[in-house]
Amino acid sequence: MTIIKTEKLTKVYDDNSLPVRALNKVDLEFEPGEFTAIVGPSGSGKTTFLNMIGGLDKPTEGKIIIDGTEISKLSDSKLIDFRLHNIGFVFQAYNLLPVLTAKENVSFIMLLQKTDPKKMEARAMELLKQVGLEDKVDVRPSKLSGGQQQRVAVARALASKPKFILADEPTANLDTESAFNLLDIMARLNKEENVTLIFSTHDQRVIERARRVVTLVDGAVAKDERR
Amino acid sequence: MKMLITLAWRNLWRNKKRSLITISSVLFAVLLAIIFDSLERGSYERMIDSMVKYSTGYIQIQDVLYEDEPSIDNSLLFDQEVENLLEAHAGQIDYYVPRIQNFALAATEDLTRGTFVMGIDPEFESKLNDLRDDLLEGGFLTPNDQDILLANGLAEIMGVGVGDSLVLLGQGFQGSTAAGIYRVKGIVNLRVPEMSNNTIYMSLPAAQWFYMADNRLTALIVMPSNPKHTNALARDLRAGIDQEWYAVLTWEQMLKDLLALMKFDMAGSMVMMGILYIVITFGLFGTILTMMIERQREFGMLISLGMKRSRLAIMVFLESFFLPLLLAWSTLCLCRYTNAYMSWECSWRWV
Ligand SMILES: Nc1ncnc2c1ncn2[C@@H]1O[C@H](COP(=O)(O)OP(=O)(O)O)[C@@H](O)[C@H]1O
Ligand SMILES: [Mg+2]
Repeated sequence: MTIIKTEKLTKVYDDNSLPVRALNKVDLEFEPGEFTAIVGPSGSGKTTFLNMIGGLDKPTEGKIIIDGTEISKLSDSKLIDFRLHNIGFVFQAYNLLPVLTAKENVSFIMLLQKTDPKKMEARAMELLKQVGLEDKVDVRPSKLSGGQQQRVAVARALASKPKFILADEPTANLDTESAFNLLDIMARLNKEENVTLIFSTHDQRVIERARRVVTLVDGAVAKDERR
Repeated sequence: MKMLITLAWRNLWRNKKRSLITISSVLFAVLLAIIFDSLERGSYERMIDSMVKYSTGYIQIQDVLYEDEPSIDNSLLFDQEVENLLEAHAGQIDYYVPRIQNFALAATEDLTRGTFVMGIDPEFESKLNDLRDDLLEGGFLTPNDQDILLANGLAEIMGVGVGDSLVLLGQGFQGSTAAGIYRVKGIVNLRVPEMSNNTIYMSLPAAQWFYMADNRLTALIVMPSNPKHTNALARDLRAGIDQEWYAVLTWEQMLKDLLALMKFDMAGSMVMMGILYIVITFGLFGTILTMMIERQREFGMLISLGMKRSRLAIMVFLESFFLPLLLAWSTLCLCRYTNAYMSWECSWRWV
């Protein structure tokens, strides 16, 4: 069974005088429960790829099929809703709302999904516990370390019960210890909760944690290995 | 929705310093505007109030020609018809104040000056404007007094005090000569600057004798039982009297030039206020706009997560709504307190 499938996925940025072919005919498939790292040097198209399968940007050519839905054909507002209910996001930075506490940040996404408020509270607590932040539930992001903030972001990504979670360079702003800590949590969630995770990185230190590594070079798949 | 409100409220306080600066600068501007406006209105109201009390009264009955040509020849005979009229409306009238007034020259041994000699009924005049309480020195007029009262400004200019004498020379009724020598019985402090330098008070009989205008008045001031019903009373009086001979005027009609001037002045202030408020609005708009621009990344993140644009718009709207709302509320509080304080201050000082 395939959860994400791309066919000849191509993206050309041509808003500048010189068009940039950021992705070139990428064919990839992802199974539920996979833990994949997208690696490659800066500018190789990692962010572009994640934005495409996350429905944040539209391809120039090719298809993206998520769980049977071809998302490149959805309208903008349908796509927003699709993201809300199917995809969890962890960004490199500016992940959290600064005026909300950790718990409120996690609950926020459930509010958007119109979850029953009674269940929401318990689930937010549960998720924060899973990422090891049960003692920081009422703390605002500015009082959390970068690693802790990213863990809140992971908890929030899980909160919407998505089909998979996308994380674009989640460790880029973290020190080594926090980076390993975050990846350990992600690996554990993958193993124990069977969460499907795809993250990008150009950081050799954390690639080992992934069970599948896709290497992009100049917008094309150069290597695809499973361990 | 509750979440959106919480979010908007907290976002407002995200940059405490900026919000406080915005709020306090707007408050300061509004406060200034309001103080100036209140002062202006207050001083106008006081001016009108003293004009009405010392000069026009609420309603005057005059000879129909007097308004255009205020001479003693156009004075009014206080006859049976007038008395009947007042009698007929006794329920609406508190009391009435007779006056006869004209210009006269006042002379001491070495100084002559044009003055305004006003014959009054001391009792009713005092009832209207507390003239008796404004006595600075000497004694007040009795109903048949043959002596005179001087306004303090005039007394100073003429260099006369209580007990001194003044020669008055003027024109009486129908070309007669009005002349006499009068002793100064007292000095009054007139609160209308325009009147203080030229007014002389006489008892009504003395003035009628001086002007050779027996039983004549230049104006009969009618004090309504309820000042709010001034216009209604004036209308009733007009209906009950022959308007070919008599004119019934309200203070608004008599002071119309002054009122027009004030309105014009106020309109100028309104324009200034309008400009001030526009500046404030733009300032506020600027603050809100910076707030939004600074947070584009945050908005991008929210949309990426799956927040609908319409919801985001509601959030932003609430936020841009809270600041002015907070402002309006704090300004209102401020105004109530300043105005309460100022009117307390004023009443304490002016009464
Ligand atoms: N919005 C954009 N407009 C134009 N060019 C872009 C845009 N985003 C990315 N690119 C270009 O596309 C290529 C791939 O970029 P990106 O996907 O960000 O790579 P990575 O995330 O691997 O560093 C780069 O050459 C980059 O300059
Ligand atoms: Mg990137």
